[in-house]
Amino acid sequence: MDEKEVLIDIEDLNVSRNGEKIIKSANLKIFRGDFVGVVGPNGGGKTTLIKTILGLLPKDEGKITLFGEPIESFNEWKRIAYVSQESNSFDKDFPLTVRELVSLGRINRGNIGKKLKPEDWKRVDEMLKFMGLNDFADKRIGHLSGGQKQRIFVAKAMVRDPEILFLDEPVSGVDPQTQERFYMKLSDLNLKTRVTILDVSHDLSAVFCRMGRVVCVNREVNVADISDENKFSEVLKKAYGQHFRFVFHEHMCEGLFEDV
Amino acid sequence: MRMFDPLKLISYHFFQNALIGGSIAALVCALIGLFIILRKESMIGDGVAHISFGGIALGLFLGINPLLTALIISIIGVLLINYIRRKGLAQSDSAIAVMLSIGFSIGLILISLAGGFNVDLFSYLFGSILTIGQFDLILISSLGIVTLILIIVFYKELLSITFDEEASRLMGIPVNVLETGLNILVAVTIVLSIKVVGMILVVALLVLPGLTALQFNKGFKKTSIISVIIGVLSVIVGIFTSALFNIATSGIIIFTLTAFFLSAAIYKHLE
Repeated sequence: MDEKEVLIDIEDLNVSRNGEKIIKSANLKIFRGDFVGVVGPNGGGKTTLIKTILGLLPKDEGKITLFGEPIESFNEWKRIAYVSQESNSFDKDFPLTVRELVSLGRINRGNIGKKLKPEDWKRVDEMLKFMGLNDFADKRIGHLSGGQKQRIFVAKAMVRDPEILFLDEPVSGVDPQTQERFYMKLSDLNLKTRVTILDVSHDLSAVFCRMGRVVCVNREVNVADISDENKFSEVLKKAYGQHFRFVFHEHMCEGLFEDV
Repeated sequence: MRMFDPLKLISYHFFQNALIGGSIAALVCALIGLFIILRKESMIGDGVAHISFGGIALGLFLGINPLLTALIISIIGVLLINYIRRKGLAQSDSAIAVMLSIGFSIGLILISLAGGFNVDLFSYLFGSILTIGQFDLILISSLGIVTLILIIVFYKELLSITFDEEASRLMGIPVNVLETGLNILVAVTIVLSIKVVGMILVVALLVLPGLTALQFNKGFKKTSIISVIIGVLSVIVGIFTSALFNIATSGIIIFTLTAFFLSAAIYKHLE
């Protein structure tokens, strides 16, 4: 193994909600620059795992370390950004322009009660451009298409210049082409900014084609490198059941990289 | 019908006081109201207004300036509503309903003990901006300016927690502190508006400017500006009309606000 920096370290993690065990003795290491797909059946505990890592849900036992700091004392939230499953279900009449929304991402502990600086706005505009949103900068967020909506929340998260980006099913409810373009943007971000990405997804082909590792969550948590095909299908079987077969054809990934 | 020359009106001291006090209250109401609407907490405005009645009664009973006692009681009331909600003792609307009734009933008891309803009490129930005294004007202006500064300073954080509380928490924004602060500002805003439109109609001054501004489909900054213009303009129109034609100021103000709202809603519908 080469010396890769561990950003998230989970040891023997157990989580339960309403008396039911959701995560059983999970062990997981996430390295800097990883692009990880978090997959598994509905109700398997993907969101619970993410929210526990972020300290939004309590754990029963085990250790979570972020950037070498135990979660209990971790306070450098500036280094982390999160796009929740619910972010897309915002009030469609909320009076915010795309630029205003993305600018909210620049808020951190250090600038509470202070005006955003010109360099903050510059970063906002750069991110809008990178995510292909500059033409809609002054449009109300409720007036955007499904694909544009996901991108504004990723832009709001990325404008924080985080070291880890957590995404919880950002592409649910949009057409396959839009999904494809979205994942292309994510790989692009991962390659260009070296941001570590954990993406909860139902789209196994996107995980296979775009990402480097997969974390399968179904009470148990199993990890595989995408390049290790046997391990990959083994952990998928553990999550989805022995009868599950992921049929993969090389041509599925063809054409996906054209626009990058 | 008593008539004044509009130009001559402005030279009167009482009229200038009314314009200053009314505009400050409208300005603060329009800004705070927008947050309240977007947080879907309009009822908290009505709840606090009723609780403030208890405070006004207490002031009349003790012989202290009723706005001061209303301020204290309203802040206590809003903090209790917050506490009940946070501890999960009751849902938001039930918490407001309970506090509203307690505040109002205590008010009724105190009013009876103080010798029943009188003109003074009516000025708090229905507003009397044209007869505002020097002390009240100073109180309204200073509270209004402090509230305004706090909203401007914490504008982006308040917007962030209103839009997405969980994300804001993760970003290191002290959500609970800001929520409590915003609720206290709601209480302050309501109390400083009581003299303008009275406690019964204060929720309209709080909510209608923002509701009207929302019809124009603009971003937050522009919506805030439209909200403020509509609120302040309605109060000025109301004060002039009421002085010229001797009609209840609060009635005209809310009528003007409603007219703005209906026109904007029709405009949105036609667009």
